[in-house]
Amino acid sequence: MKRIISMLMIIFSAVFLFAAVPQQAFARGNDLSGSGIQLSTTYPSQFVELGESVTIKIDVGSTSGDRILQLGLADIPDGWTASFRGGGKLVKSVYVAEGSSETVSLRLDPPQDPLSGEYTFVVLAEDGEARAELPITLSVQEKVPAALEFSIDLPTIKGSPKSTFRYSARLENTGDEEVMVNLTADAPVGFLTKFKLSGQEVTSFQLGPNQTKTINIELDPITELPAGTYSCKVYATGGDMQASLDLTAEVTGQQDLKISGVDGRLSSKATAGKENALTVLVTNKGTASALGVDLSSSAPAGWTVSFDPQEITEIPAGDQVEVNVKLTPPDKTVAGDYMVTIRSKSAEGASESADFRITVATSTLWGIAGIALIAVAVGVVVVAVTRFGRR
Amino acid sequence: MVQEVNKSPKQSREGSPWKGLGAVIAKEMADHLTSARMRILEILIILTAAGTSYAALQKLVGSGSQNEFLYLELFTTAREPLPAFVGFLAFLVPLVAISLVFDAINGEFNQRTLSRVLSQPIYRDALLLGKFLGAFATLALVLTAIWLLVFGVGLIGLGVPPTGQEVARILLFLLVTVIYGGFWTALGLWFSTRFRQPATAALGSIAVWLFFTAFWEILVSLFAQGLRPIQYGLLEEVLARAKLEMFLSRISPNTLFVESTIALLKPAVRSLGLVLPFDLQGAILGAPLPVSQSLLMIWPHITGLLAVTIMIFALAYVSFQRQEIRV
Repeated sequence: MKRIISMLMIIFSAVFLFAAVPQQAFARGNDLSGSGIQLSTTYPSQFVELGESVTIKIDVGSTSGDRILQLGLADIPDGWTASFRGGGKLVKSVYVAEGSSETVSLRLDPPQDPLSGEYTFVVLAEDGEARAELPITLSVQEKVPAALEFSIDLPTIKGSPKSTFRYSARLENTGDEEVMVNLTADAPVGFLTKFKLSGQEVTSFQLGPNQTKTINIELDPITELPAGTYSCKVYATGGDMQASLDLTAEVTGQQDLKISGVDGRLSSKATAGKENALTVLVTNKGTASALGVDLSSSAPAGWTVSFDPQEITEIPAGDQVEVNVKLTPPDKTVAGDYMVTIRSKSAEGASESADFRITVATSTLWGIAGIALIAVAVGVVVVAVTRFGRR
Repeated sequence: MVQEVNKSPKQSREGSPWKGLGAVIAKEMADHLTSARMRILEILIILTAAGTSYAALQKLVGSGSQNEFLYLELFTTAREPLPAFVGFLAFLVPLVAISLVFDAINGEFNQRTLSRVLSQPIYRDALLLGKFLGAFATLALVLTAIWLLVFGVGLIGLGVPPTGQEVARILLFLLVTVIYGGFWTALGLWFSTRFRQPATAALGSIAVWLFFTAFWEILVSLFAQGLRPIQYGLLEEVLARAKLEMFLSRISPNTLFVESTIALLKPAVRSLGLVLPFDLQGAILGAPLPVSQSLLMIWPHITGLLAVTIMIFALAYVSFQRQEIRV
C-alpha cells in the first residue's frame, strides 16, 4: 500500500512538473530523490525536419556536493541514436561542482528511414546516490517538398499561318524551397518556341517558395504551315520535379494571292491607240483556296483595261490562273513608260496588287506621212526636171 | 535655143542628166577643202568643238552625275559663258553652209567660167546638183570630223565607253545636223542662182539666218498675242496661244533642229509638244525612251527639213534652168 502511494506521488509530481514546463522559460529535470541533481534545457520540445539530426544543449548542475554524473537516456525511440558531447568530445559522464553547472550537448540522430511523429526522449543523469531525468520531445515533421504547378487559361489559340501564337501561362512553386526552373518545349516541326518572363526571353529562372510567375510562351511558325491543329507540350523542370502543359495552336488556312507577269516580268510594251495583250498570272501561295477573285486595275486616265476572265471562281491553294489583260492606251498617249496597277481581290477580302510598267510606243503612221511629204517634194523636183531639164 | 527647147523638149534631152556629176562633185569638194575660206571655218569650228566639249567635260567630271547617258550630256552641257555644243552648232552650221555656197553659181557666172563648164558634156542639172552635193558633202565631212573630235575627247575625258543607245543617238544627232546644214546649203544655192552678185546672195542668206535666229521668236510671240489674245484667262485660251506659238516657231529650221537635238540627246524627253498634267498621269517620269520612239517624235522635224530642202533645191533648179548664162 505504501508503495502504491509513493508510486502515485511520483506520478503526481511528474505530472505537476510536466504541466509546469510550458509556463517556465526553461525546463528543469525532476529531482527524483531530492538528490540535488539538476537537468535543464532551454527548449525541451522542438520541431525537427524529417531525417534531420538535432543537437540540444543540456545544463547539468548539482545543488548538493560535487558529483560525477553518468549521462544516459532512460527512454529512446527505436532506431534513434543519442550521444553526448562536451568540450568537443564524446562524453559519457560529467563532473559538476556544487552550486555550478556544466553544459553538454545531446545529439540525436534519426534512424535510416525516419517517420514523422512525436518522439519522446528521457535524459538521465545519475551517480550512485541520486538520479535526475529530463524528458525531451521531438515532433518530427515531414517538410513540404517543392512542387511545380503549371496552369493556363487559354490553352488553345487560333491563328493564321503567319501569326505568332502567344500563350500566357502561370507557373507556381507550391513547395517551401526555391527552385531553379528550366523551361523546355516539345514543339511540332515548323514552330519556334520562345519563353518570355517580364518581356525578357528566358529558358531558366529562379522560382521562390510559394511564388507564381507568369510566363509568356510564343509559338512562332517558321514556315508556311498547312492548316491544322498543332499541339505542343511545355515542360518546366526544377530539380527532380516536372510540370507540363499542353498547348494547342490551331492554324487556319489562309489564301495568299500574288500577281505577276509571265516569268515574273512586270513590264510590257504597248502601242498607243491599239489593243495590247498582257498575260498576268494570279497565284495563290496560301494554304486555303481563294474564292471569287475579282480583278481590277488602276491605269492612267483614258486607258481601257479589260480582263479575261474578269472574275476567277476559285484558285486552289498553290495554284495559279492565267488572266489575259487587254490594255488600250488612248491615241494621243505620249510615248514613254507608264505605271498600271493590277489588283486582285478575293471574296474573303485578301487583296493583292502589282505594278506593271508599260512602255508605250506611238504609232508609226505619222512617220509614213513624213515620207509622203518628202515624196511630194521629190515629185516637185521631178516635175521641174521634166519641165526644164537637161539644158 | 530657149524657144527651141520649149517647142520640142524631147529632142534636146539626150543622154544621162547625171553625166559629169561625179566630176563636178569631186572638183567642188577639192576647191572647198583647199580654199582659205574653208580653213577659217575649220579653225572656228574646231575651236568651238574643243572649247565646248572641254567645258562640258570640266563640268561633268567630278560632278558625280548619275545620268546613264553621260555621253549625251557632253553635247548638251553648257558652262558659262559658252553655250553647249548643240547651241553652237545651231548657229554655226548655217554660217558654214552659207559661206560654202553663196558664190557657187554667180561666182562662176561673174568669172565667166560657167559657159566654159557647160560647153563640156555636162548638163546644167548635173552642174547644179554637183554644186549642191559638193558643198553638202564637204559640210558633212567637216561635221563628221568635229563629231569624231568631240566623241574622242569624251572617250578620253570620261573614261567610259558609250553604250549602244548613246552611239545610236549621237549618230542620229550627226545625221540631223547634216540635214540641217543641207537646208542652209540649198538656201544659199538658191540665192546664189537668184542674185548675180555674190555679196547680195551672201547677205540674203545671212539675212534669212539672222531672221530665224534672232527675230523669229519675237515675231512669233507678237503674232500669238495678236491672233490669240487671252481675254478671260481661260485654259482654252492659254492652250490655243501656246499651240499657235509652237506651230509658228516650228516654221523656223532653227527650232526644228534644236527640238530634234533635244529629243535625241535627252532620252527622258517624251514629247516636244504641249504636255498637260492629264497626259502624264501614271507616267514614270525620267524613264528614257527607246531610240526608235525618240526618232518617231522628231520624224516630222526631219522629214519637214528634208522636204523644205528639196523644195528649195527645186526652186534653185528652176531659177537656174531659166537663166540666160551666155553673157
